[in-house]
Amino acid sequence: MWQIIKNEWYSLTRNRTLLTVSIGFVGLLIATIYLGHLQTQKNTQQYIEAKNHLRTQWESIRAMNPHGAAHYGTYVFKPANVLSSLDEGVNSITGKVLRVEGHVQNEIMYSEASQSQTISKFGKLKGALLLQYIIPLLLIFLAFQSINREKQSGRLKLLLLQGITITQLTFAKTLAVCSYGIGLLLVTISAYTILNLDNITTNIIARAGLFFLSYSLYYFILTALTVYLSARWVSTNLALTSMLGVWIFWTIFLPNMLMSSVESLHELPSREALKAAMKEDRAKGLDGHNPADERSKELEKQILEEYQVDSLSQLPINFDGIVMQEDEEIGNQVWDKHFGNLRNVFEDQKQSYQLGGIVNPFISLQNASMGLAGSDNLHHQEFLVQVENYRRVFIKELNDQHAFGGSKTGDWGWKADNDFFKSVSDFNYQPIQLSTVIGNYSIDLILLLGWGVVVSFLLISGTKKMRIQ
Amino acid sequence: MIQIQNASKSFKGKPAVQNLTLQVNKGEIIGLLGANGAGKSTTINMLLGFIKPDSGDVQIQQKDCFNQSGEIRKLIGYIPENVNLYPYLSGVENLNYFCTLAGHHYAKSQLQDFLITCGLEPDAHHQRVSNYSKGMRQKVGIAIAFAKKANVYLLDEPASGLDPMASNELSVLLTKLADTGAAILMASHDIFRVREVCHRIGILKQGKMVKELNSQEVSANELETLYLDFMKN
Repeated sequence: MWQIIKNEWYSLTRNRTLLTVSIGFVGLLIATIYLGHLQTQKNTQQYIEAKNHLRTQWESIRAMNPHGAAHYGTYVFKPANVLSSLDEGVNSITGKVLRVEGHVQNEIMYSEASQSQTISKFGKLKGALLLQYIIPLLLIFLAFQSINREKQSGRLKLLLLQGITITQLTFAKTLAVCSYGIGLLLVTISAYTILNLDNITTNIIARAGLFFLSYSLYYFILTALTVYLSARWVSTNLALTSMLGVWIFWTIFLPNMLMSSVESLHELPSREALKAAMKEDRAKGLDGHNPADERSKELEKQILEEYQVDSLSQLPINFDGIVMQEDEEIGNQVWDKHFGNLRNVFEDQKQSYQLGGIVNPFISLQNASMGLAGSDNLHHQEFLVQVENYRRVFIKELNDQHAFGGSKTGDWGWKADNDFFKSVSDFNYQPIQLSTVIGNYSIDLILLLGWGVVVSFLLISGTKKMRIQ
Repeated sequence: MIQIQNASKSFKGKPAVQNLTLQVNKGEIIGLLGANGAGKSTTINMLLGFIKPDSGDVQIQQKDCFNQSGEIRKLIGYIPENVNLYPYLSGVENLNYFCTLAGHHYAKSQLQDFLITCGLEPDAHHQRVSNYSKGMRQKVGIAIAFAKKANVYLLDEPASGLDPMASNELSVLLTKLADTGAAILMASHDIFRVREVCHRIGILKQGKMVKELNSQEVSANELETLYLDFMKN
């Protein structure tokens, strides 16, 4: 089998057209990775500069009312995962800046898609585009006549008469062509590694390893299927057109069809409906039995009892800060309820969509690729959760300072000093653990493996029935 | 070594081989003559294990050619009518590739000796096969079969495209192989070559063996007349 693989490689290297295309493609691939790297570097630089600038701005607050500072708020930025230069995933449409302030959970803004020209939304050359669409096409073009050409030229008989089996031949041809794609993948990963030598961690190595495995499996599946059709169909044209049909169905139609079905199955509320429901909950209280003014009176009573005083003016603390924090807590519960539901719907959508990998390995590849690159919705949602958690701590620190920092109820002119503002912690994004990512995408990896087994079985059993005369 | 007993094969109801019985013993060369569609290639394909006979037995060294094709193919040297090689490889590289697949690892000089024996000029050995004539490719194909050092040779129009000299060299080579104990079955249109090299000759018509004779019994001209008579009637 090794001899056949070597011979196939030899044929590839002696094919001048392919050699020219390959050299051009490798150049394009490296250029794309390099440009992606520059973009990531630029984004990271902007992220660091903006983060430092805002922190400096925050720390330079000399004296300010803490609640005023809560309204003043701050901004947090979504850091780019180093691997996202390989697959941007949902990053370009989700946005990366979030304003953190009191009373309200803001939506993320400044997505690349919302800012770019229409033409660039569709025409931007990205690493994932080459890895997911172009390399598979090249593999189809290399494999579609692999067995048919041998059959039509009569070499197949000569090959089989040397004692090799048709299964060995089809596997060897598959591995030879597939290794071309894997070679291009290696070029990509190597170029990426060289460009990111300073940032390589074990987490990134493991992610890159699984990323490589996912793509290798997909290339094997696609090549094996093409070789199988090349062996089964009488005409090479039929093998090519049917495989291109499979490619179009897998990469264009099926993902859109499945996504639409999944969205209908697990429907998300409209933005207006969600906002209205949250507003209502916020106004009425969570269960509709606890209007805001009643809550406030109850809280006042509770605090007066706790401090054993009769009126708010006798309190040694600022009751306004406590009310605001209580309002925050209610707001947080409302957010947890509604965004918790949203996250559940997202999770259901994700899981249902992942099952699409049973009929379409491209879906599994896309999911695994985005997940491992850290540019998927899971990472995005995790960022939003971490920001919200930070917002809660941030606002609570400000409200607590307002309540317990030395001011009295109604004293809105009271100001906290610079030391306090310096002591308020900054937002630090904690990357998702690899085990969480694997847990979320193991189904995709398993389905890709399953597809690998199925196409291997096709190669073994399907080609045995091949007529050779 | 080669034994075909009452073998029949039809394609879509049309008989290609009908009740064919044939035996090729050790050291024997048998020639099959017949027009296009007479069943020569079907017979060879049944022996190669690519076609399963509808009825009858097709065996080589007591092994069923279809059910034990994996084992059988290791025993066979085969020369097709059109040898298509890998155009990007040279003659030596092609020979080396097929020999390696067959489990034979020869030194470069040995490979070149095979090619010379089969009539390929040394200066062509390292040229790409894409520059070869049909005859040159045929010679490499013959070398591939011979380098296999098989006990059984199946030849389907082996001299196709060969110049008279190379064709003669092939005849000499086949005789030498038979002398070493190989059993050779050769399908051909070339009455004179078959008469010259084969011990026995069978004439196939519409899948049936219509005549079997010893080559010593007839002259080339008589054989031609006999063959044409069978084809006309």
